[in-house]
Amino acid sequence: MIPAAAHQEVLAVVGPRGVLDRPEDLTLYEYDGSVDKARPDMVAFPRSTEEVAALVRIANKYHLPFVGRGAGTGLSGGMVARAGGLMISFARMNRILEIDLPNERVVVQPGVVNLDVTLAVQGDGYFYAPDPSSQRACTIGGNVSENAGGPHTLAYGVTTNHVLGLEVVLPDGSIVTTGGKETDQPGYDLTGLFTGNEGTMVLVTKVWLRLMRAPEMVKTILAIYNSAEDAGRTVQEITARAITPVAVEMLDGLMLRMVEEATGAGYPLDAAAVLLIELEGLKEAVEEQVEQIRQCCAACNAREFRIARSAEERDLLWKGRKNAFGAVGRVASAYYVQDGVVPRTQIAGTLRVIGEVADRHGLKISNIFHAGDGNMHPIIMFDKHKPGDLERAQRAGEEILEHCIRVGGSITGEHGVGMEKNEMMGHLFDEASLAMIGRFKNLFDPECRLNPGKVLPLGKGCMEIRQRPLSAASEI
Amino acid sequence: MEILHPDTPAGLAEALAAAGAARQRIRLGGAFTKNRMGGPVGPADAVVSTDRLTRVLQYEPKDLTISVEAGLRVAELNRVLAENRQMVPLDPPFGAQATVGGVLAANCTGPRRRLYGTGRDLVIGMKFATLRGELIQTGGMVVKNVAGLDMGKLLVGSFGTLAAMAVVNFKLIPMPPETGTFAQRFETAVDLLEARDRLVRGVLQPAAVDLLNPAAARRVGLDGFVLLVQAGGNRAVMARYASELTRAEALDDGIWERVREFTPEFLGEHASGMVERRWSTLEGMRAVMELKEPVVARGGNGVAWVYHANGETYRGAGVMEWGPEDGTGRAAGWPEPGAELDVMRRIKNMFDPAGLLNAGRLYGRI
Repeated sequence: MIPAAAHQEVLAVVGPRGVLDRPEDLTLYEYDGSVDKARPDMVAFPRSTEEVAALVRIANKYHLPFVGRGAGTGLSGGMVARAGGLMISFARMNRILEIDLPNERVVVQPGVVNLDVTLAVQGDGYFYAPDPSSQRACTIGGNVSENAGGPHTLAYGVTTNHVLGLEVVLPDGSIVTTGGKETDQPGYDLTGLFTGNEGTMVLVTKVWLRLMRAPEMVKTILAIYNSAEDAGRTVQEITARAITPVAVEMLDGLMLRMVEEATGAGYPLDAAAVLLIELEGLKEAVEEQVEQIRQCCAACNAREFRIARSAEERDLLWKGRKNAFGAVGRVASAYYVQDGVVPRTQIAGTLRVIGEVADRHGLKISNIFHAGDGNMHPIIMFDKHKPGDLERAQRAGEEILEHCIRVGGSITGEHGVGMEKNEMMGHLFDEASLAMIGRFKNLFDPECRLNPGKVLPLGKGCMEIRQRPLSAASEI
Repeated sequence: MEILHPDTPAGLAEALAAAGAARQRIRLGGAFTKNRMGGPVGPADAVVSTDRLTRVLQYEPKDLTISVEAGLRVAELNRVLAENRQMVPLDPPFGAQATVGGVLAANCTGPRRRLYGTGRDLVIGMKFATLRGELIQTGGMVVKNVAGLDMGKLLVGSFGTLAAMAVVNFKLIPMPPETGTFAQRFETAVDLLEARDRLVRGVLQPAAVDLLNPAAARRVGLDGFVLLVQAGGNRAVMARYASELTRAEALDDGIWERVREFTPEFLGEHASGMVERRWSTLEGMRAVMELKEPVVARGGNGVAWVYHANGETYRGAGVMEWGPEDGTGRAAGWPEPGAELDVMRRIKNMFDPAGLLNAGRLYGRI
């Protein structure tokens, strides 16, 4: 609970219309796009960095846990207020502060929606590269905190490769700026350290981003297969021939039927898998690469090879991909998305293992993922009203991640560890490496107030002061 | 002075732990090519070199990843990769001797960073040894990975002041089928920067966009203000560059070795020479290009190096990245750090509370 005095002080900072604290309002702020839930005691909506810092100071004064929130589209429980307390929403800090095309930069507040950055500059021939599937809703602040990815990160890199500077509020309420429009400033790369901290070390209040020049030509290809394994082999073949697509996405048969029903994107209903491949660059390069990809697909038994003939066709193919999670929602009452990564040569084998896990648990698992960089997204469907089904889904997810670790991969490529996979961290890293992450957490947040109970296995995160025991708040 | 050459990552961790326990001040390095960089370097009781950590631990060309020990020379790394037409395009100075760990610790970058990025973009995982004798893992062997804090970013550019890199994992870049180098010459810095703007605002995607002022151009056998471009791609792409870069002279790719080794050659000739690094926006590069001293700049990144024959011409606009042989004249190496320096010092203190590791290396500020 928030003490009355703290409540008053928060109101004094953000005003009466800058606060939500009725239970029916707070319900909307207790979850993200994953399956865990926990209710904050109060949500505050600051309009400036100074207001964020003031809120942090109040949280410290009254010993309240606090957590930042963007759009709540995360997929690992990163913004779920696991210990309750004060949630700081960046919904009102949603202005693009500066567009600086000659210097290839844009400066934004954390609540700016990812896609809005590209929309603001695409008329001038520029774009912001990281493109998570939630890009119509998710915010840059959340992207920075989670180091978000997306299909086109295969060629262009993830969020951290495009963030050049940050203004952050530290858990003690102080404001620090790292980096900026210029690269190569001296000193440690704090911008790189803070990007992907999952909201556990700092709150991001301003971001300097790199813009890229839009390519001269884009070609989007749909390759259709009667076997998922052949699709997986195609990815290896593309790498072996040193072809460099900007995106290689794979949808299995189950997924493309769900997507097709929901979007009518033109995906074949009877195929076992499709690859969505995009090539970008100079006309002379793209035209040659389309032919090379055609040969790869043919060599791997693709039954059909389609090239989008217009921007509309291209958009439709991508709409199918990017709205996939919504399509699943039409079919299954609940689902659980995993985010494991495997070396590219292990994709076909991993798909087999996922099939075995599904059979073993009697669950439907569908796959839609960034095949080009081995980032798997098995979507585990379950019935949330059936007792034990969620636990079965979670167990299946863990088994898939254990396989990813076994073949030299990782438990998360872009969604973050959050409160979903924190217990799995002990399978990926040894004690010393986990303790080092804990030391960083402790250095920035010794009282363990900022987003407690995330990233590290419980009991390893906060070293000096233990937070109050966390209730397993997830009644779904 | 005692010089330790551990030959395993565990041995490196033990060496640091032993020296740390004995409260010895440690000078940490690879091939020690960059003794004049980032100082003034403080005194040391022991030297720890990674020069015997030279193994390739894991290389699967089809995964486009490699894991190597930090003492492997960058040249050797790229020789191994070239057998599969792959590369780690860091292009550091002292390219023949410099080690992977040293290049990353000093965050040495090269011309092709416009397209391929720098160490922070190419490293996907790392093991580093701490003064506590631990080997810490961060990242891994896959190109997309957000499990845990990205401590590798912090180690890149830390000049060995926090910990010692033992193992580094890279993502790999396929070599383009062909490459080409083009030089355009101009009378003034304004003309040079206009040409640079036309290039980077267009659809061409060159790997390198370097700028040389006349004093620098003379040192590599060119003249005037020079826009030096490297591009990769198929034959048709190369022809496109040749036609769009009007009045450009096609040069041999060998010119890039002269550019990459510009700093070592200059320092070799000038015992009291200094190299200043300045950073700016793309638009903010005119003043530096108009200096009388030789200037080599990454025109697509806003970073410029100014070559001072001695300390008299240094006005403190950037950091003194390389200093005189005798270590003098370095007091103002990093003129105006901001509030973030305090955060950096807290991190340093967490890793190395007694200040034993590579004292002074961060321009005397850490």
